[in-house]
Amino acid sequence: MLDLVWLVPIFPLAGFLILFTTIGKLPQPIAAAVGAGSVGLAAVVAFSAGYVFLADGMSPLTVTLYTWMNVGDFSPGLSFYVDGLTLIMMFVITGVGFLIHVYSTTNRAVFIDDEHHSRFFAYMNLFVCAMLLLVMGDNLLLLYMGWEGVGLCSYLLIGFWHDDPANGAAARKAFVVTRIGDTAMALGLFLLFLNFRTLEIQPLMAKASGTWVLGSPTLAAFLILGGAVGKSAQLPLQTWLPDAMAGPTPVSALIHAATMVTAGVYLIARTHELFLLAPVAQTAVALVGVITLLMAACTALVQTDIKRILAFSTISQIGYMFLALGVSAWSSGIFHLMTHAFFKALLFLGAGAVIFSLHHEHNILKMGGLRKRLPVAFWSFLIGSAALAAFPFTSGFYSKEPILMQAFEVSPWLWAGGLLGAFITAIYSFRLVFIVFFGEMRTEPIEPTGLSGTPWAMAIPLLILCVLAITGGWWGEPQVAAVFPEVSGEHHAGATAYITSGVPLVGIVLAYLIFLDGRLKVTALTESSLGKVLHDFWFSHWAMDWLYNALFVSPFKWVTAFNKKDILVDSIYDGTAATAAYVHTLLSQTQTGVLRFYAASMALGLVVLVAVVLGLT
Amino acid sequence: MSNTELVALLPLISFATVITIVLLAIPFWRNLKGICALSVVGLLISLATILWTTRIVPIQVTPLVLIDQYALLFMTLICLATVAVALLAYDYLKEREGQQEEFYLLLLLAALGAIVLVCSSHFASFLLGLELLGISLYALISFPIRGQATLEAALKYLILSGVASAFLLFGTALIFAALGTLSFNEMVQGFYVDVGSNRLYVMVGSALMLAGICFKLSLVPFHMWTPDVYEGAPAPVTAFVATVSKGAIFAILLRFFIWTDAYQYESILFGLGIIAVLSMLAGNLLALMQSSVKRILAYSSIAHLGYLLVAFIAGRLAGGAALAVEAASYFLVAYFITTLGAFGVVSIMSNGNRERDLDDIASYEGLFSRRPFLATAFTAMLLSLAGIPLTVGFVGKFYIFAAGVQGALASYGWSLLVALIIGSGIGLYYYLRIVFAMTKRPAATDSAATEWITIPVAGGWVMLTLTGTLLALGVYPTPLIELINSMVRSLPL
Amino acid sequence: MEAVSVPLEHGLVLAALLFSLGLIGVMVRRNLLFILMSLEIMLNSTALAFIMVGARWAKPDGQVMFMLILTVAAAEVAVGLGLLLQLHHRFRSLDTNAASHLRG
Repeated sequence: MLDLVWLVPIFPLAGFLILFTTIGKLPQPIAAAVGAGSVGLAAVVAFSAGYVFLADGMSPLTVTLYTWMNVGDFSPGLSFYVDGLTLIMMFVITGVGFLIHVYSTTNRAVFIDDEHHSRFFAYMNLFVCAMLLLVMGDNLLLLYMGWEGVGLCSYLLIGFWHDDPANGAAARKAFVVTRIGDTAMALGLFLLFLNFRTLEIQPLMAKASGTWVLGSPTLAAFLILGGAVGKSAQLPLQTWLPDAMAGPTPVSALIHAATMVTAGVYLIARTHELFLLAPVAQTAVALVGVITLLMAACTALVQTDIKRILAFSTISQIGYMFLALGVSAWSSGIFHLMTHAFFKALLFLGAGAVIFSLHHEHNILKMGGLRKRLPVAFWSFLIGSAALAAFPFTSGFYSKEPILMQAFEVSPWLWAGGLLGAFITAIYSFRLVFIVFFGEMRTEPIEPTGLSGTPWAMAIPLLILCVLAITGGWWGEPQVAAVFPEVSGEHHAGATAYITSGVPLVGIVLAYLIFLDGRLKVTALTESSLGKVLHDFWFSHWAMDWLYNALFVSPFKWVTAFNKKDILVDSIYDGTAATAAYVHTLLSQTQTGVLRFYAASMALGLVVLVAVVLGLT
Repeated sequence: MSNTELVALLPLISFATVITIVLLAIPFWRNLKGICALSVVGLLISLATILWTTRIVPIQVTPLVLIDQYALLFMTLICLATVAVALLAYDYLKEREGQQEEFYLLLLLAALGAIVLVCSSHFASFLLGLELLGISLYALISFPIRGQATLEAALKYLILSGVASAFLLFGTALIFAALGTLSFNEMVQGFYVDVGSNRLYVMVGSALMLAGICFKLSLVPFHMWTPDVYEGAPAPVTAFVATVSKGAIFAILLRFFIWTDAYQYESILFGLGIIAVLSMLAGNLLALMQSSVKRILAYSSIAHLGYLLVAFIAGRLAGGAALAVEAASYFLVAYFITTLGAFGVVSIMSNGNRERDLDDIASYEGLFSRRPFLATAFTAMLLSLAGIPLTVGFVGKFYIFAAGVQGALASYGWSLLVALIIGSGIGLYYYLRIVFAMTKRPAATDSAATEWITIPVAGGWVMLTLTGTLLALGVYPTPLIELINSMVRSLPL
Repeated sequence: MEAVSVPLEHGLVLAALLFSLGLIGVMVRRNLLFILMSLEIMLNSTALAFIMVGARWAKPDGQVMFMLILTVAAAEVAVGLGLLLQLHHRFRSLDTNAASHLRG
């Protein structure tokens, strides 16, 4: 069964090919069946493979499909490496992916007409295939191919409704910003190849502790970190994610919450030996994580677009994963990745239901009191937010707590930062719940509402995700321990543990007091001058967009305006072309067509050759 | 001669038999289709004998001929190429006037010469094979004699080839003077001479020999006949000259160099290096603004032989003889496929009773709308020549590149690699120019570009097979690489 | 009477001189017939060289090569003469400059 693991990416690929070649010709139910079914089949294979893997003693396995070519040391191949880490990622991608695909089959979910169905599912399938290649590939070439593939699909899906230019702009921004990260990663991969002459990940990691001919582990680790922050929307490349919410909600759920943005986390986890050899880089990972999670949490606190709140929340939670990797809490980081996939997908799908019901209204200040009318969405949000805030005994609690405890072992400051972030997380997540689902109803939802009004294709995935969000942590940490080195120190239940568990509760209570109960008035705080400045600052995401615009975009536009006639770069190309043409004309004149001239050139050539051969003796 | 030796000679014997049968059949059976079929069947039978002989090699049959896996690989390649040319020639010739059956006789003779060349281990058989190939080609190039172009091409080729043969022979004589033997086997030990007049003889002899061989391989500065002969000769013959003639001579050159370890003469390698760099650059530059497809392909073949020399030189220096043979063999296979395909397209376009072959780029305009499959095949060939991934040309060029990098890193110098890169870059321009022309709409409505082209049966199958092989080997090159590796392993390197 | 053997170097020098003369002839003459003759001279000079070397090493290889070269040269020139006839038929002259249309 484990040998068949190569089928897992093939099913979604087949789905993509079928759907792409028949765009517009397949009726909607069939397109949906193909789209969701392929991912479902992949999930089945993945889970059975996982079952066999666990039963077999969890020894890592490489399955090779074929080798492209074998020249010297360069033999890239299509082969997959399966170990605990790969399987977790596969479960998340295919499992949560399948649920989201099923959810998308309802018209309400994707808000589009029939013809777009094929295109949507085709892109989604291609995405799943690319993401699977990324996590399953055993060499850097496959990983990079998957990396680029998910970037492409993200671009296609963000700008899915391409009639509106704003969507296209958001897609472009996502693509360009992640490109910067991709370039850094490519450089890192080149560096690794140049040093160790192999592209296969496991041998690379084994050799990394040897001597480096070019560069150092730190340099390579930093370059890979650059790629990871781009794809995972961390500082300084996180500006694309909030704008990416322009895409359909299932896209946001799958790509920008559960899977693609976790690719950076996977990359660092996969190359963790490299980071262990470069403590500076690992510390940088932790710092990036903690700073980003704080920035994003603050920003989420003051946002009013429901999807943007969730987007910043995603950035913040990934910050936790980076923090985990940075303090060597590898298993916890991956665990958090898994639980985050559950509750974030739940939140996004629920948000999709809310938005659709309210005639595509995104502003939470115009919502309210939906608790009774949209019970499924309400319970999804409640459970999801509880998990997000790490409410005790939810899955989020079981994954976040170890991270913070391990962070405390490394540095109390990191722990404090993570704790503050958890506090703010609790506040903003329940702020969202209280404002949207309680209080007076400011916009009427469209009929039908209530339990009967929710199609089963929407309700069942949400139900399953609710169950996973609550119980996901009860079975203990996933079995990735074999992949990662042992982490020292037990998590003792001391004062720090209690503080860590209790702070989110305090946050929830605070949110209740401010937003639902109204007892605690913060208007004095928010109306003050400092409060206003902070509010605007946080709202604009710490002015990052303005900063980048001033630093990069405006100067770039100035240069392009200056270079309108393309003097700078074109002159190089024109010059080269002109030189080549000139030399061609010169040489062409030697082909005179006269036989004797040819013979003479041969004689001349002979003389020169003999002279060279003798002269250099 | 023992039984095993006779069996080892079976490919040559069967070839000769086929030639005799065709020779006798022609006066009694003036039927182009029949003679073509006879030749192709004979070639396939010879191919079968080649495959059968692989079991008992390597065998030295008289001091003249050594049949081993290396020779058999190239013999197979030559046989297949000749089959392709025979099929393409059938369609080319059938609508032209005159009695055309002798074409096949000449073609088979030339192929026999190439085969003898590839398995020779003595300068006498080398000369025989070379001249058999050459003289048959003189007749083929001027066949059928209509129009001035073929005559001019044949004349130039004959005179210059004669001069080159003279170079080669004189060089051989000098080497004979120094070493006292003409057999490659006996030259293994003593080829590298340290001091004395013998050294002078060997070096000057080698230089002369190389000059002659470089002519046949159309390397700078002995390349000037190439565009004229390619342009003037009939398209199938050009395909033969470009592939079999060059491939066979390169194979024997490689064998000679590795056998006698002539690599120890650094000045010879230096001279070859200069020739390689000049060929890569000049070949690509000369093709830049050409308007004749055949001339473009001629110049590009000059460049390609330059690339091949890179593997020859650098591969041996750094990676050992094994890498050189491997890279060169793979590149030659790729080169055979693409060149046959490219000239096959030109041949198909030039079918019919015309004065000149249809090789002006303007006649190819709009080919995608007229004949999409032909245009696609041509595009695939051109992209493979340019070395785009997923084609067999890419893998071949990658091999050359790998050999070049290893050579450069072994402090042989970066010039070969730089020339390779620059040359490939320039090459992309003119290959794509042809592709772009095929996508354009033709300007005038009554030019050759709007003619109807019928795709012949035989030629169509040849093109299909070539294109399929090109893509298959580009995506999955492992079988061929395995084959070449097993051949290399069997050599005493 | 003793057999006077010709030193190898002398023979090779003679061959080289003939070779150069032939080469210069090919380069300089315009008449195709004379070009073919110069070609013949070149080939025969190499044959001479082989004879000399064979004598030096007392091996029959030189003589064998001589026969082969002669045969080959004859075949080559036969084809060449055929082409010469065609040239005359088409251009009414034996000037090789008349056949210089392929260029560039």
